[in-house]
Amino acid sequence: MQSDDMHLLTVVAEAILEEMLINEVCAMGVAGYTITDARGWGRHGKRRGNWRAGGNIKLEVLASADLCDRIAARFKEQYEADYGLLMFTVPVALKN
Amino acid sequence: MALDPVVLFFLLGAIAGLAKSDLKIPMAIYEALSIYLLLAIGLTGGVKLAESELLPLLLPGLAVLAVGSLIPLMAFPVLRWLGRMPRADSASIAAHYGSVSVVTFSVAVAFLASHDLDYEGHMVVFLVLLEMPALIIGILLARMGSKGPTRWGQTLQEVFFGKSIILLAGGLVIGFVVGPDHIEPLEPMFFDLFKGVLALFLLEMGLVASSRIADVRQYGLFLIVFAIVMPIVSAVLGTLLGYALGLSIGGTLLLATLYASASYIAAPAAMRIAVPKANPALSIGASLGVTFPFNIFVGVPLYFWMAQTLYSLGG
Repeated sequence: MQSDDMHLLTVVAEAILEEMLINEVCAMGVAGYTITDARGWGRHGKRRGNWRAGGNIKLEVLASADLCDRIAARFKEQYEADYGLLMFTVPVALKN
Repeated sequence: MALDPVVLFFLLGAIAGLAKSDLKIPMAIYEALSIYLLLAIGLTGGVKLAESELLPLLLPGLAVLAVGSLIPLMAFPVLRWLGRMPRADSASIAAHYGSVSVVTFSVAVAFLASHDLDYEGHMVVFLVLLEMPALIIGILLARMGSKGPTRWGQTLQEVFFGKSIILLAGGLVIGFVVGPDHIEPLEPMFFDLFKGVLALFLLEMGLVASSRIADVRQYGLFLIVFAIVMPIVSAVLGTLLGYALGLSIGGTLLLATLYASASYIAAPAAMRIAVPKANPALSIGASLGVTFPFNIFVGVPLYFWMAQTLYSLGG
C-alpha cells in the first residue's frame, strides 16, 4: 500500500460499537484496520475499561484522505448523536 | 444470620474502590472469571437436569416466562409516570430489572450450599430463558412513540448469542449430556472451586459498583427507592410462583432471586445498541450500585425467609 495521499484515521469510541464500526469500514473497502482497548476521560465521563460495556476502543484505519473522510462522515451521521465518539485524521508516510 | 464469606469480598472491593485504592482486577482475569462462573452454573444445572424428566417442565417453564415478562411491564409505568423519567430511560431500566443477573443467582446458589439445601436443576434453564424476553420488551417499550431505526440485527445478536447465553446454555447442555456419572473429572475445577472464584469475581464487582454509586446519587431518591422496592416486589412474585409450582425451598429462593435480580452485563450491552438515547449510567447505576448489593446482602436472606415462611404456613 504505497501512496502520497495516505491518512491515518483514528476513532475512539464505545467498545460496544466495535462490531458495527468494523462492519462499516470493511463495507467501505478499507484494506485493514487495527483495534486496541482504550481507557480515558472526556465529555462522556471516565471510561475505566474494567467493564465490557463501559470501555472504549481505538480503531485505526490507514486509507486515502478521501476514504478516511467518507468513513468519518458516515460514523458522524450514524453514531455521533447517541454514542461517545472522537475522530481525527493525520497525514502519514508509509514506510513499507 | 452470619454473612456468607463471598459477599464480604464484595464489601472489600467496594471499600477499596471508595478509598480510591489502586486495586484493579485485570480485564483478562475478569473475563476469565466470568467465563468460569457462567460455565460452572450451566454445568451444575445440566447435571441436575439430567436426573429429572424434561416434559413436565414445559408448563412451569412457560409460567416462569410469563410472570417474568410482567416485571418490565410493571416497572415501566412506575418509572415513566411516578418517576417522571424519559421513555428511553424508563424502558431501558425496566429491561434491566426484567432481565436477570447470573452473579446474584450464583450468590443465592452459594447461599443454598452453605445451608445444605438442594434446588432443581431446571432453575438454570429458567435463568437462561429469563435473560432474553425483558430485553425485547424493553426495546419495544422504548420504540413505542419514538422514531428512528432500531439496530435489530446487532441487538438480537447480543441478546441471543452474547457470551452469557452461549456459555450458560453450552454448560447446561454439556452437563445434561454427560450426566452425573461422567462429570467427575471436571468436578474439582467447576464445582469445588466455585465459591473461591465467585469470591474473586465479587471483589471486582465491589470495585465496579463503588464507581457507580456516584451516578445513582446524581439521579436522586426515586431511583434508589425503586432499585430496592422493585426487587422485593419481584421476589414476592417469584416466591408465590415457586410455591404454586411446587418447587423446593431452594428452588423457590432461586426463582425469587432471579425475578429480583437486575441484569448488568447482557442488558447494558443490548440496551446501549437498541436504545441509545437511554442514559446507561442510570440503569447500570441502579442495578449495580444499589440492587446488586441490596440483593446479595439483604435480598437473598430475605427471600429465603419469605420462602421458608410461606412453606411453613402452607405446610
